[in-house]
Amino acid sequence: METTLIIKTSRLLRNPNMSIGMLLAMLLAGVTFLGGALVPHDPFQIDMSNRLQGASSAHWLGTDQLGRDVFSRMVFGAKLTIGLGMFAIVMAICIGVPIGLFSGYIGGRIDAFFMRIIDGILAFPDFILAIAIAGMLGPSLTNMIIAIVLVRWIVYARVVRGLVLAEKEKEYVLVSKVSYSSTFKTIRMHLLPQVMPDIIVMAAIDVGKVILLISALSYIGLGAQPPIPEWGAMLNDGRGYFQVIPSLMIYPGLAIMLTVLCCNLLGDGLKSYFDIRKGRDYL
Amino acid sequence: MSEPLISIQDLHVENRVCEKSLLRKVNVEVKKGEIVGLIGESGSGKSLTARAIMGLLPLEMNVSGRILYKNDDLMKITSKEHRKLLGKEIGIIFQDYRGSFTPFIKIGKQMIETICTHQLVRKKEAKNIAFRVLCEMGLNSERVYHSYPFQLSGGQVQRAAIAMVLALRPALIICDEITTALDLMNGEKVLSYIDQVRKETGCAVLMITHDLAQAYKRTDRMYVMHQGEIVEEGLPEQIRCHHKHPYTKKLCSCLLSLPEDESVRKERVISL
Amino acid sequence: MSLVVDGLSKHYSKSVHALDNISFRVNAGECIGIVGESGSGKSTLARVLLGLESYKDGRITINGKPIAPKKRALLREYRKSVQMIFQDATSTLNPKLPIWKSILEPLDNFKEITPSFLQAEGLSRKEVAEELLEIVGLEKQMVDRYPGELSGGQKQRVSIARALSIEPTLLVCDEPTASLDVTVQVQILRLLKDLQKKTNMTILFISHDIRAVTFLCEKVIVLKNGSIVDQFGLEGIYHKERHPYTKALIKAASIE
Repeated sequence: METTLIIKTSRLLRNPNMSIGMLLAMLLAGVTFLGGALVPHDPFQIDMSNRLQGASSAHWLGTDQLGRDVFSRMVFGAKLTIGLGMFAIVMAICIGVPIGLFSGYIGGRIDAFFMRIIDGILAFPDFILAIAIAGMLGPSLTNMIIAIVLVRWIVYARVVRGLVLAEKEKEYVLVSKVSYSSTFKTIRMHLLPQVMPDIIVMAAIDVGKVILLISALSYIGLGAQPPIPEWGAMLNDGRGYFQVIPSLMIYPGLAIMLTVLCCNLLGDGLKSYFDIRKGRDYL
Repeated sequence: MSEPLISIQDLHVENRVCEKSLLRKVNVEVKKGEIVGLIGESGSGKSLTARAIMGLLPLEMNVSGRILYKNDDLMKITSKEHRKLLGKEIGIIFQDYRGSFTPFIKIGKQMIETICTHQLVRKKEAKNIAFRVLCEMGLNSERVYHSYPFQLSGGQVQRAAIAMVLALRPALIICDEITTALDLMNGEKVLSYIDQVRKETGCAVLMITHDLAQAYKRTDRMYVMHQGEIVEEGLPEQIRCHHKHPYTKKLCSCLLSLPEDESVRKERVISL
Repeated sequence: MSLVVDGLSKHYSKSVHALDNISFRVNAGECIGIVGESGSGKSTLARVLLGLESYKDGRITINGKPIAPKKRALLREYRKSVQMIFQDATSTLNPKLPIWKSILEPLDNFKEITPSFLQAEGLSRKEVAEELLEIVGLEKQMVDRYPGELSGGQKQRVSIARALSIEPTLLVCDEPTASLDVTVQVQILRLLKDLQKKTNMTILFISHDIRAVTFLCEKVIVLKNGSIVDQFGLEGIYHKERHPYTKALIKAASIE
């Protein structure tokens, strides 16, 4: 068992995208989880005498307009931004995947019902819709997550439904029916394992997208409220001082960029890994 | 005895990556106007032999031996010359008839394109040739010419694919399991048309198949292949009744056949 | 167990008759073959019998009961007694599951069945799958393999093991040998014949190859363009009054 795990991991890491992505992910995870021990300052500590400082040995990335340590805020923000992004994705998968599976497999009216809803939501660009929902619910972190989940689940439902439509014509699904397996069992036993790799790849890439979305919503003031140090909110805070001390915007921007890059690399790596496996299955 | 049209001498094929030899000492000869059968189970290397003749072996294969076609060694000529030979001199028909034509282009157009690349003829002439060969294959040439591949049945598409090969009047036709994807009736139809064309044009046929019964019926000579080696060769009757190699024995014992016809047997006894 | 098909028709559109007024009867323990070329409607017939496709006119009954009833309890009884083997074993096995999981799928749904082939009681699920594999002539060690690691004949054996696990009274075989090598074809046919003798189940064997049908079955039904053109027992196969189409099929299959 252990040896196969090692073989699998080594095959996974042979892909350069994957190994770079893993390196970045480990770095980010390290900063996020060990960050509490690393940071020298309280991210909420206001120190007006030390505002808008450049980098120094006391404040590694300088201080912001209220004299708070930027590095501490970034590390604290990492936990929040990445954590929220993953949470939103998990929620979206929990809603979207079952709907996609059932609506694709059962078809008929249930399918038509969900597909019309999805078409309706898809008619709007997802960012605009997220702004509208978050705006309606009122600016707060919870409402922002609700808005993002409501916008993202359709992507999963649609993709999963498409995969299921192709998959349910396969004969082993028919056999399952002939064997008197219940709908639920057929889906769990035959369809879910088939769509799982695609969902994982999609989710990995989507985390990056959702982090961008969270940051964007926070940037326009609909997400994290001050003084919570979310990366998008930090960008927003730094906006007024961009000409004096651009690093206030550069560092959170860089962090967002690196995270999104990491997610995309991981997603690409996983995709080629699963593609190879798929080819092997059908040999 | 007439000269061999193509003769494969001591063909060795080896996979360089996993160092497995796939073909060992394969010697096959096809004379002009002959139908030769190459029998074997899947994985016995019969399709690989066809690929070696066509020069379509994957790069990781090591090849040695000689393949003489009209006294030219096919292993030595450049790939450009090889390609010239394919189609014009050697035609190949594959098992999977769906792969023979692009699904988005009408069959007629694809045939004209193929004919024009290999022969110096004008479009109009090519069209005439296409119509003639489709007709020879017993197809409704007007209809097939203007159809997309998916509008026809499997047997019809396979026959159109054969027609396309025949349009170039090759001296050798390689049939790689052409009846496997068809049902018995359609398979028989296709084979009898090939037989007919052979009689008319005098071309040679190398028939690769796993169906021993079919080979008995259609071939002049046959080779039995097993795990990359030719284990037995001879006339169909020899293989059928006086086989020596245990593998051939196994093949023959696995032959599906119809129940004996009582009346025919009685007649035989009487005539004896 | 007797299967009665009476006046069965199915149309895809007004002009296309998939099945046209088909009637036949299969008695318990019989082995009936249905021959026809592609497009003759034989696969449609199999799917209709399994309740995978609807039909328009006619009646199909098994032991006097209609097939694939809407009521759940009745459907359960039906599924328990009828199983099917498909042409392409590769696509009937989920590539992501080890074969023992595939084999046990029907048996898991009918927990009340204790198959008579089991030697001992209290076997684990995997051991039951091992016993099933032995019955179809495969090695016990194969239970953990994935379909991708098996040959075509082995996969077909696995799907036969799955169909047999709940000991159906009727087994519908839709071209189970069409995509196999000739030598493997005969092995699979022999296996089916042996199993039929042992379990005395009824087999409806569908094929384009009249040789395979005559190898296995005592009675043959010839299907053409959705209707039955000929029916005969094996002893009458060379009879003068055979339908011309039957004669053509025989001619295509004979060696001479």
